[in-house]
Amino acid sequence: MKGKYGKLIAGLAASVVLAGAATTASAEDTIKIGIAGPMTGPVAQYGDMQFTGTRMAIKQINAHGGVMGKKLVAVEEDDACDPKQAVNVANDLVNKGVKFVVGHLCSSSTQPASDVYADEGVVMITPASTNPTITQRGYDNIFRTIGLDSMQGPIAANFIADKIKPKRVAVVQDKQQYGEGIASAVKKTLEKDGVNVVMYEGINAGQKDFSSLITKLKQAKVDFVYYGGYHPELGLILRQAKEKGLKAHFMGPEGVGNKDINTIAGDAAEGMYVTLPPSFDTLPKNAGLVKAFKAAKEDPTGPFVMTSYAAVQLIAEGIEKAKSTDPVKVAKVLHAGTFDTAIGDVSFNKEGDLKKFNFVVYKWHSDGTKTRVE
Amino acid sequence: MLAKRLPFAALCAVLTLVMGLPILGLNLTPQGIHIVLKSAPSATFMWIALGAAVVFLFQLFKDYLSGFWRQVPLPKASSFTPNLEGRKRIYAERAGWFLVAVLAFAMPFFASRGATALGNLVLIYVILGLGLNIVVGLAGLLDLGYVAFYAVGAYSYALLHQYFGFGFWEALPISAILAATFGFVLGFPVLRLRGDYLAIVTLGFGEIIRIVINNMTWLTGGPNGIGGIPNPTLFNMEFGRIVKDPGDTLFYKVLGIEYNSNHKVIFLYLITLVFALFTVFVIKRLTKMPVGRAWEALREDEIACRSLGLSRTGIKLSAFTLGAFFAGFAGCVFAAKQSFISPDSFNLYESVIVLVIVVLGGMGSQVGIILAAAILTMLPELARDMAQYRMLFFGLLMVLMMIWRPQGLIPMKRTPVELARE
Amino acid sequence: MHEQMLYFLQQLLNGLTVGSAYALIAIGYTMVYGIIGMINFAHGEIYMIGAYIALITITGLATLNITFLPVVLVIALVLAMIVSSAFGWSMERVAYRPLRGGNRLNPLISAIGVSYFLKNYVLLAQGSRDIGFPLLIKGSWTFGDPNGFEANFSYMQLTIFIVTIVCMVALTLFISKSRLGRACRAVAQDLKMANLLGIDTHKIIAATFVIGSALAAVAGMLLGMYYGSIDPEFGFIAGLKAFTAAVLGGIGSIPGAMLGGIVLGVAESFTSAYLSTDYKDVVSFLLLILILLFRPSGLLGKPEVEKI
Repeated sequence: MKGKYGKLIAGLAASVVLAGAATTASAEDTIKIGIAGPMTGPVAQYGDMQFTGTRMAIKQINAHGGVMGKKLVAVEEDDACDPKQAVNVANDLVNKGVKFVVGHLCSSSTQPASDVYADEGVVMITPASTNPTITQRGYDNIFRTIGLDSMQGPIAANFIADKIKPKRVAVVQDKQQYGEGIASAVKKTLEKDGVNVVMYEGINAGQKDFSSLITKLKQAKVDFVYYGGYHPELGLILRQAKEKGLKAHFMGPEGVGNKDINTIAGDAAEGMYVTLPPSFDTLPKNAGLVKAFKAAKEDPTGPFVMTSYAAVQLIAEGIEKAKSTDPVKVAKVLHAGTFDTAIGDVSFNKEGDLKKFNFVVYKWHSDGTKTRVE
Repeated sequence: MLAKRLPFAALCAVLTLVMGLPILGLNLTPQGIHIVLKSAPSATFMWIALGAAVVFLFQLFKDYLSGFWRQVPLPKASSFTPNLEGRKRIYAERAGWFLVAVLAFAMPFFASRGATALGNLVLIYVILGLGLNIVVGLAGLLDLGYVAFYAVGAYSYALLHQYFGFGFWEALPISAILAATFGFVLGFPVLRLRGDYLAIVTLGFGEIIRIVINNMTWLTGGPNGIGGIPNPTLFNMEFGRIVKDPGDTLFYKVLGIEYNSNHKVIFLYLITLVFALFTVFVIKRLTKMPVGRAWEALREDEIACRSLGLSRTGIKLSAFTLGAFFAGFAGCVFAAKQSFISPDSFNLYESVIVLVIVVLGGMGSQVGIILAAAILTMLPELARDMAQYRMLFFGLLMVLMMIWRPQGLIPMKRTPVELARE
Repeated sequence: MHEQMLYFLQQLLNGLTVGSAYALIAIGYTMVYGIIGMINFAHGEIYMIGAYIALITITGLATLNITFLPVVLVIALVLAMIVSSAFGWSMERVAYRPLRGGNRLNPLISAIGVSYFLKNYVLLAQGSRDIGFPLLIKGSWTFGDPNGFEANFSYMQLTIFIVTIVCMVALTLFISKSRLGRACRAVAQDLKMANLLGIDTHKIIAATFVIGSALAAVAGMLLGMYYGSIDPEFGFIAGLKAFTAAVLGGIGSIPGAMLGGIVLGVAESFTSAYLSTDYKDVVSFLLLILILLFRPSGLLGKPEVEKI
């Protein structure tokens, strides 16, 4: 085509054709399940757990004949635990015609993505986002297979108040939805229990230099620090705190309970307290499943492996029970019944939260193992 | 002779190995609670060796190669344009724009949902690129913090909606004007600065705005962003499945058709298209007005400008303000499209992308910028599988563009005005 | 009262430690700008690469069972400097030299491109996760009352001070006494004239990049070990801060870069100590803007005379 604008028109036309070709109609004999989580980024380790659990579930369900005779197909996308990317992923999955999503992982990603899914009527089950606001907006197609920070916070705070009885507590958070949510929940309960909270500080995710924070903590004679956030930052805080002589105990939510914290903090990770979901891999009925994971050289002990596995199970059972792949119908069925999954018997309340879920307090060790604390 | 280049070629090959081997060949991997080194698969080492060999040979035979290269004629942009003069040219341009507009309007009805959404994003970047073009391309002021105005526009809408319940149409002019005000305010301190210093200060401003938004969690939601921003409505008809703002009707119910989520996407695209065409039109007019000519005069020679009596202050401020206006415009549209914004959408990378669009397109050239915006936005989408390597290629592309074609894809051509003969 | 003093001292020490590392990186920026008038945006990535190479070397040596501390540190430092210099040299040769003498905008964009390329290169090769950097220099001195506030000066902090002072002294001696240093000063003053007088400006410019990169690598290793973890993103932020420091001190002036780095580090430390940790980053940019508005040539720079 001649003319300056020839290029422009050709470009537009080409893009239309290419994009159209890229989004071909899905085959009729498969059901797409979107898996959205961090494949890259600072908390990719947790994304690994999510993908491990979902892949195993899909493999096993397909091996047993699929769902309503159709095979499950995973559409995996990376949101890097970033809200902006999560929205792009959500739009992308919707554009691809995906109607069921297991994801996202980080609360700050799940929240905006859920707006997109709710608008489109897509069923979303998050296996790891614990922030309460995700299910408090009246959406009927958003579920989660993990507990809430409104439960995890008080469990941690009561433990601190009853068992540790510290004199001066500081609460630190990374200002993201997950960290800030759990930290404020803990702070509220601590104050209710009469514990002396002397500082409430925020740090930036990705920060490396915590010397001023630690110096401030030292000056305030803090002997216990609750940190709301993920392991990269807490690992550095632990290490730098030990270096600088801050004598305090630390506690964090499940976002810090990861072996990688030992690679960063070294010995300083010894004695850290952490609240985690119960170890579903130790349930007797999951013995066969654990063996299957180990045979595939995957680690079933991560906190989000079983919850992700269960999420896929729920979608499969929901479709079977509703006898339809219409997500609106499946959502209704999920709200109504009780299902048998790898994390036990599951039933949802009106908001889409599990009716019961217990967090357990563990003590973390410098060799990466943990022991349960009563 | 070849032998003279041998030591240098060998040095280059060795350097390639030094740069490639440790980072590519030895990977730091966590194992349990320790970090260990895992050596990469042997394929990687072969690639590194191959790379070193290529560098060696290239350096050795460089003289022959560059001579050969110079003989290959590069296609010139002018070979694509028909040689029209005067009146005919103006008609041809108008016809071309009209054709493009018609095609653009028709596209969403034939293309898939994903393509329409992508087209929408392209149009937003077109507006941004044209806006920055005023500052960088026409006025020659290197602004590295353009994303700050984009953020102001987007957050204005988001905050106005969250705290005062403003809809899209009410917030749009406010966002644009607010961004323009920021542009005006930012213009003052940078009046005296030139070149690199200007770039640094604007970069600093861009980062400050982002950090402040990120820290003011009580107002802006901090890193968690603001969600639930409503899409634009058409005479109070919403395009969603459920009504979000009380008092609105639903599009599909009013028309009596079945709900199709594509309606929302198509409507958004058409709105953005209207805005983009508006932007093109306005800026085109501005370039022909004294204001526009003053910008270009400033870019060419600031000192001559002053000696001719043009107010440097006025020119710079008008460039900043108008550029910021369009950024605010684009920001509001972006917030409405995504329904969610967070400070991370407005980082330095975004400023750089818009800058690259302007430079790639050819500074000052509107057509070039539109084309560049299209290419730069569509490329990562089309290369989704290679998403990991996208940024790598992006960086490489920037360097290569600068070395090989710094004047841009379609450099600006100023249409000469002929005086009528006496 | 005594405790307040100790607190102040501690925050001052924290600031000086980080500041001196910033100074090392800032020197690279300032040298390049002083000679060819270009802001090397990719310098922060060189710092990051230095940190990665240091960690790779330390881990590798540990695998080979070489753990004698001084040997490990020296080898890691030297290798980091070599690899970073290789990157610096190649960067100049490939991405900047062809653009010299043209429009000022082009090398800037090319630099941004190089920055993205390098960052993603490391990200693809090594992964995007934070990787722990073992602390090899442990222990510290403590002052003050163990029951009150104890100020803490770690051996690692001391190491950072010593290394940075040695580097700065070495650089100053080099610039003022050696032939190459004299040539550098000449080229910085007037490139064309230096060329006419027979100085190989290409070689000098390349040397500038190499020296700057080597210093950045040193800073990378020091700060990587001091903080405790590295990831491909952290070069960018550090680069921006160091650049601010260079401008603060007067871009083009090496003592200015050193001073600017220290001032910036201390300012950041005191802001988080006495105001809020949130606004630590804002301080750097605000300082930058204020300096550029009221004294664009920086603290130690010479005011630029505008010739018409």
